[in-house]
Amino acid sequence: MTAHIEIKNVTFQYPGAEQPVLNNVNLSMEKGDFIAILGGNGSGKSTLCKLLNGLIPHYYVGDFSGEVTVNGYNTYEHKVADLSKHVGYVYQDFENQIVSPRVLEDASFAPLHYGFADFHERGLKALKLVGLEEQQDAFIWQLSGGQKHLLALASVLSLNPDIIIMDEPVAQLDPHHAKDIYDILTELNQVHGKTIIVIEHHTEFVASYAKKVVLMEQGNIHFSLPVAEALNQVDTLHRHHIYPPQVTQAAREKGVEGRLPITLEEGYSLFSNAEPKEVTDIPFGEQKEAIVSFENVNFAYKTITREKRQVLHEIDCTIHEGDYIALVGNNGAGKSSFMRLMTGLVKASVGEVLVDGENTKDVPPEYLAEKVTYIHQNPDQMFIEDCVEKDVAFFMKSRKIKDYQSKVETLLEQFELTDLADRDSRLLSGGQQRRASLAIGVGMNPEIMLLDEPTANLDIATRKHITRILDGLKNQLKTVVIATHDMQLACEFANRIIVMHEGRMIHDGDRASVFQNYRLLEKAGLVPPQIFSLTKSLGWKEPAYTVNEFIERYQREEVDNGVYA
Amino acid sequence: MTTVNKRYTLTQSQKMMVFILSMSLYGLSNMITELVPSVNLGPIELSIEYFAFIPLTLCILFHPLYAAIGASLGEIIFGELMLGQFGGFGELEKFIAFSLAMYVAGTFVRDPRNKMQVGIAAMLGVIIHQLISVTVDILKVWVGVEELEAVPGLAESVVVVEGFSFLNDVLFSGILFALLPTLYLVPRLYGKIEPLLGMKPRDRNDRYSLAEIIGPRLIVIGFLLAAAAFIFEYLSEAGFNVEWEADFLDMFGDWFIWVSIGVALLVVITTIIVMVKKKSKTDVTKKQEDKIPS
Amino acid sequence: MEYTRKLADKLSVEQVKIELLNTAYGNGDTFLAKLDPRTLFLWYLFFGIVPWFVHDTGVLIGMCLFMVITTYMAKISPLIIFILCLGLLGQGGYLLVVSLLFGGDWSTMLPLLVLTVKLSTISLASITVFCSMNPDKLSDGLLKIKVPGQVSFSIAYGYRMLPTLLEEYHHVFQSFRLRGKAPEKHGFLYIRSIAYFVKIAMLSFYPLLLSTAKRARTTVEALETKGSMYGFNHPEVKKLKLASLSMKRQDYLFLIGSAVYVTGLFILI
Repeated sequence: MTAHIEIKNVTFQYPGAEQPVLNNVNLSMEKGDFIAILGGNGSGKSTLCKLLNGLIPHYYVGDFSGEVTVNGYNTYEHKVADLSKHVGYVYQDFENQIVSPRVLEDASFAPLHYGFADFHERGLKALKLVGLEEQQDAFIWQLSGGQKHLLALASVLSLNPDIIIMDEPVAQLDPHHAKDIYDILTELNQVHGKTIIVIEHHTEFVASYAKKVVLMEQGNIHFSLPVAEALNQVDTLHRHHIYPPQVTQAAREKGVEGRLPITLEEGYSLFSNAEPKEVTDIPFGEQKEAIVSFENVNFAYKTITREKRQVLHEIDCTIHEGDYIALVGNNGAGKSSFMRLMTGLVKASVGEVLVDGENTKDVPPEYLAEKVTYIHQNPDQMFIEDCVEKDVAFFMKSRKIKDYQSKVETLLEQFELTDLADRDSRLLSGGQQRRASLAIGVGMNPEIMLLDEPTANLDIATRKHITRILDGLKNQLKTVVIATHDMQLACEFANRIIVMHEGRMIHDGDRASVFQNYRLLEKAGLVPPQIFSLTKSLGWKEPAYTVNEFIERYQREEVDNGVYA
Repeated sequence: MTTVNKRYTLTQSQKMMVFILSMSLYGLSNMITELVPSVNLGPIELSIEYFAFIPLTLCILFHPLYAAIGASLGEIIFGELMLGQFGGFGELEKFIAFSLAMYVAGTFVRDPRNKMQVGIAAMLGVIIHQLISVTVDILKVWVGVEELEAVPGLAESVVVVEGFSFLNDVLFSGILFALLPTLYLVPRLYGKIEPLLGMKPRDRNDRYSLAEIIGPRLIVIGFLLAAAAFIFEYLSEAGFNVEWEADFLDMFGDWFIWVSIGVALLVVITTIIVMVKKKSKTDVTKKQEDKIPS
Repeated sequence: MEYTRKLADKLSVEQVKIELLNTAYGNGDTFLAKLDPRTLFLWYLFFGIVPWFVHDTGVLIGMCLFMVITTYMAKISPLIIFILCLGLLGQGGYLLVVSLLFGGDWSTMLPLLVLTVKLSTISLASITVFCSMNPDKLSDGLLKIKVPGQVSFSIAYGYRMLPTLLEEYHHVFQSFRLRGKAPEKHGFLYIRSIAYFVKIAMLSFYPLLLSTAKRARTTVEALETKGSMYGFNHPEVKKLKLASLSMKRQDYLFLIGSAVYVTGLFILI
């Protein structure tokens, strides 16, 4: 079989950049493959993908050398317009890829503009492939984030390309929706024979869905291997700040001989079923003073059709000092509304929200801002000044706090931003932006900090870094609430987990009570950390929540019984 | 010379980016200023007329033509169409006047780091725009009211009201919403926003001077646009009225001739200056070219 | 001045968004909305220009009444009518006040009233027409009358991006509010508070300029791959897009009806 995609000796340098972003790259891919591209930030993953649909070299006027052939077309000789019938590209910021106000209109935009008479049918067919046909007449702003992502995919599918590239398909999705999108990609791959290329940080998805892995490093292809082989190279991956699936990590730490397991199924047979060492669960601290209380709160907003849509139903909840809460549940479960009620930016339609005994309805949000800080999911929205330092100082400066410069300096140090102090926050990398937004939040010296998806869109190494920083915040704040899809973060950070589902609080308790409750997980669409599922299947009564915990307890178990895996 | 010129040639898609950027942002700002109620102090209206600093900044930092047209279209789409107050034909005049004013302001700046140039350009943009729109507004009342001069005090009051609004807009809006924010934004964005669109910042060596970039062709287009703005209003409002009274026509004619003479004069002078400059420059380059073979 | 603040409170971003999108898409089921865009353009061509040259008060009032009826038929959102009235009253009022200063008397009222009627007729005509066309229809109509493809694309794109941009602006504005400090005293005539908010309103555009620049880049790249550069320059694409436009019986009836009414006005009055 001839190669479907052939990249030969390609070097590319962006205009104005000092180093080439791709350095003598050679790579070939075959038709019908499912390829995951891994690599740290700035390793050239996105650039590599832009080579394939001709945006490079036609669109980016940088220094290009080498040859790229896609489906027999040389990208240098053919226009972007010709190539996009063969290669579909879904951006990381896919929102900006959608250009029409309505769903079907956007799905048929490309075939229409290429002059296909059956543009309408093509659009519909593409919508069916991604399961959006029911929303065909909806407006874009009525769609959820996940649906918008599917629409961006459909718009690309409408031209029926052989190759589909998706840049971080699940970054902003809850585990449930993430699985949906991968299932669709798998169907496209297996039933329709499309070549799929994804850029992905989540190696657990890579392990379950991809056939091949390409690892990139500073503009080079480090390796291109079948998925099992690739994920077995734990040391190499670690060196690139990539974490293999938890099962693989666990097996590796336990010194499993031969090929390491990469999925749960492969993992079961390799570990012993023996009872592990008992743990004493982190005890609930004694209940301290209540800081926030929700009293029978309903919240609704007006939709476009002037109907009221109720987002929160009868919420009763008290948050005490020393509570570190993870707020979990699917997209649209009401997590953000719950948090925004505490900031006073939105007001409850029924019931009261009290912060430090004061009703949020009676005080302006500016007043509450000194007690409650809300960190947006998208750090961009926190940046209002032209450099990190000024952004952090803004709050203190406008309140004429004495000696604020030295406080700013301390904060910059704490969040490892000192070197970036005079850079524009918007132009930093994802992890740096996140740290800057946290520094801004802490700089407001709040009692309560609310974080919306603090680890979304980050690669796993950065995610770990942020988790560590969040842990360090616990003694600076009275209470922290994190809304998240990241169950590893929830398990590691929180001492209390609130599960939300369709605007109601369906559970409030510690992590064991959440993850041990199979029905609850099912209902709320939660997927526990892989290591938890593994240990549970192994019959542990107290399953492990983190790889470290697993290693510790499993090891003791071995030592006690003298059994080796 | 060619390499230098080539460096500032934008690709089709880069032009489109500038256009979209300018359209969405100025459109949004327009919508906001339309929705914010104005403050009336007696007959003096202190309203936020428009956030002219957005198109001004973009015209100064990027290709002025696309930024200017984008902004005007943005105003029509966000500020008029979406708010359901699209004025139909009247919008054409606004479109032309605003694009022209912003474009001229943008081309005036050679070096975005020069505060003096940026400041003058910002005020220039506002003045040109207000001059055109005030003239058109006066014309409108003149055409719309039958036997204007028969109504005591109306003719004067129109001129006074419009004249005052001109001063108000130039001094109040011009300084607060064009001059100061543009001076604040341009240096902050310079070199920062261009790479986001995959472009190099304009710099002094780009020789992006009025004469070279505008050229006679664009001067002519500018003149045509200005003329079209007037002729359009004139034709649509005055052209076909058969019952026109002779003395009214005289008076109107005088006024119109006076305005058009003024504008024509302005345009002619600019053209001549630009042409002369250009000629002397090409002469120099010609001489240099002549020298090389010899 | 207090009313300004109250109004500003009521005009929450969400509310504005709802009103705007309703203006755009909410009127799909009216009679006027079912007409072909060309009919509406033609109709507007008449009622947008002719009133300027009519100096007969009776005919003008007749036309204005007709416009009021069509406006009612088009189910225009109250916010828009409110904005329109404010504008018209303001302009007329000034002229009146100033001309009184220049030795005019109450007889100035009449021509000014006539002028206001004219202006309202024309404004109502454009409101009727342009609110009855949803953005899709308007851009198709514009394409049909040979306006460049970029314009109709921009309209669609504007509606696509409006909610996103508005929200983003709102977020940035809120960040300024929450982290900054509003002046403690409102100052004479609230001047300090107003100045503070206006300043924030402008400063909020700095972050937006940068983030929109990022957006614009992706959008244009995507447009490139979606073939819009190809589509703007090929007449067959236009034909395909406009295939659904057709003049129906109701179009002709509407035009004839309007013509009969106007002719009647001129003859009878």
